[in-house]
Amino acid sequence: MSDAIAECQRLAATEAPAPRIVALRDVGLGTGKTLGVSAATIVVLLSLWGLVSGMRLVAPLFLPTPSEVVAQFVAVFQDGYANATLAQHLSASLIRISLAAAIALALAVPIGLAMGLNRWAKGVFDPPIEFYWPLPPLSYLPLMIIWLGIGETSKIALLALAMFAPICLSAQAGVRSVPLERVNAALSLGATRWQLFRHIVLPSALPEILTGLRIALGVGWGTLVAAELIASTRGIGYMIMSASNFLATDVVFVGIAVIAACAFVFSYALRWLETVLVPWKGKS
Amino acid sequence: MLNIHNASVYFAGRNGAPIKALDRISLEIPAGGIVVALGASGCGKSTLLNAIAGFLPLSEGTITLEGKPVTGPGADRGVVFQKDTLLPWRNVVDNVALGLDFAGFPRSVARPKAQELLQLVGLQDFAHSAPYELSGGMRQRVGIARALATDPAILLMDEPFGALDSLTREQMQELLISVWDKTKKTIFLITHSIDEALSLATHVVVMSPRPGRIAARYDVAFVRRFARTGLWGAVTSDPEFIRLREDIRALIHQSDLPIADMQRSAAHE
Repeated sequence: MSDAIAECQRLAATEAPAPRIVALRDVGLGTGKTLGVSAATIVVLLSLWGLVSGMRLVAPLFLPTPSEVVAQFVAVFQDGYANATLAQHLSASLIRISLAAAIALALAVPIGLAMGLNRWAKGVFDPPIEFYWPLPPLSYLPLMIIWLGIGETSKIALLALAMFAPICLSAQAGVRSVPLERVNAALSLGATRWQLFRHIVLPSALPEILTGLRIALGVGWGTLVAAELIASTRGIGYMIMSASNFLATDVVFVGIAVIAACAFVFSYALRWLETVLVPWKGKS
Repeated sequence: MLNIHNASVYFAGRNGAPIKALDRISLEIPAGGIVVALGASGCGKSTLLNAIAGFLPLSEGTITLEGKPVTGPGADRGVVFQKDTLLPWRNVVDNVALGLDFAGFPRSVARPKAQELLQLVGLQDFAHSAPYELSGGMRQRVGIARALATDPAILLMDEPFGALDSLTREQMQELLISVWDKTKKTIFLITHSIDEALSLATHVVVMSPRPGRIAARYDVAFVRRFARTGLWGAVTSDPEFIRLREDIRALIHQSDLPIADMQRSAAHE
């Protein structure tokens, strides 16, 4: 009897066509793949650019052709632009943004965590942060220059200030998102205050802190170019500004492409960091 | 032994007037017993558990554990929550060892001990899984192992199986009884299931709501019989079991708010 069943199952397994795999229908986008559509969009946009500029529908001064931009990229890469090589411009910008990010992280994470945990910290830091963070960084750039000079300090300070607020606010939100039961569970297992912070609060707040860092880096790139527009001799932002003064639109395009590539790499690096540091995110 | 003497709890009401959540509860939880607090929602059973755990201070009265007054949470009272509170960044065995880590035991002591407890709850093969890879019932078992790791004098369980499906729930009840039988732990458990209370308890405490009071106590022995025989059917079809179940059901229904009272409190809100 059981042999017959096994035989039937074997026959069914060999003869049946591949089953139709089904899943519940999604609302909205769901898990639909967008990669193909996005790739097609990029191709269409690039060809449109090539077509419009190639047919000289727009003056090259306003819209260079893709091949001109690529040629200019090679030229800037090899010979440099505005008294510095592309690598020097890029490293000047990268050093500024990395230093500022490090300073912002080192200050914003402890202060944000303290604000989430302590009435005094919250009371002391809330007014200044609530006051300055909605301001556009460019509006206090002159103050930075007056106080800190036109060198690197004022630029890094400006960037650090711009990046501080999102990290600080997210660290605070991270503390507030710690479930009370998780805290109570740790206390009933004998956690001291420090252990509670180290083993419960900090890891619970980590996903939020990383999200804050991602937002901060976005803000950082935006502020960086603005900071380099004024009184600098190096940097991608400076390169763009200088090129625009000479109506070298192709160099402006090169600068924009470099910034876009950097921002993309940073964003991916952070996503990778998230999968390493908080693999549980969204799973519990 | 845990002693609760004249414990009252008042919460702040909406208009600032105090609301009495627990009204002079006196209760003794004998060493090695399973005391189950049973009642409808709002009867104060969770409040009572939170007070014993030390999460909630009492407005009046005292709680003492082996003569020492309870002033806050501590490792002498293990807590199993309704919702699992495992740390997602620690694997299963590291979660079980959490309390041992807090107490400063070296890894070489804490991990074997945690592994031993996983064996007790039948999860020795999942030591290195992440909590989010386990089912709800398995996570609750990890929670029990974790609470036992620091060798608490009493295990407090806040509707530990309330979020589980009824089949898993029955398995978990059996598991709890076997753990109790092996470890001889004192257990205080709250539930709103009459059957669960009668099956698990050595003492059932029926609570009535608004304010939370103890309406009745029953000493029962079904859990001992189950631990001996391992047969649910024989226990739950026992005429005595069925009689008690109906008694308690009648008591709970009778202690419900009268209609007039309900309308008054509805108008209040």
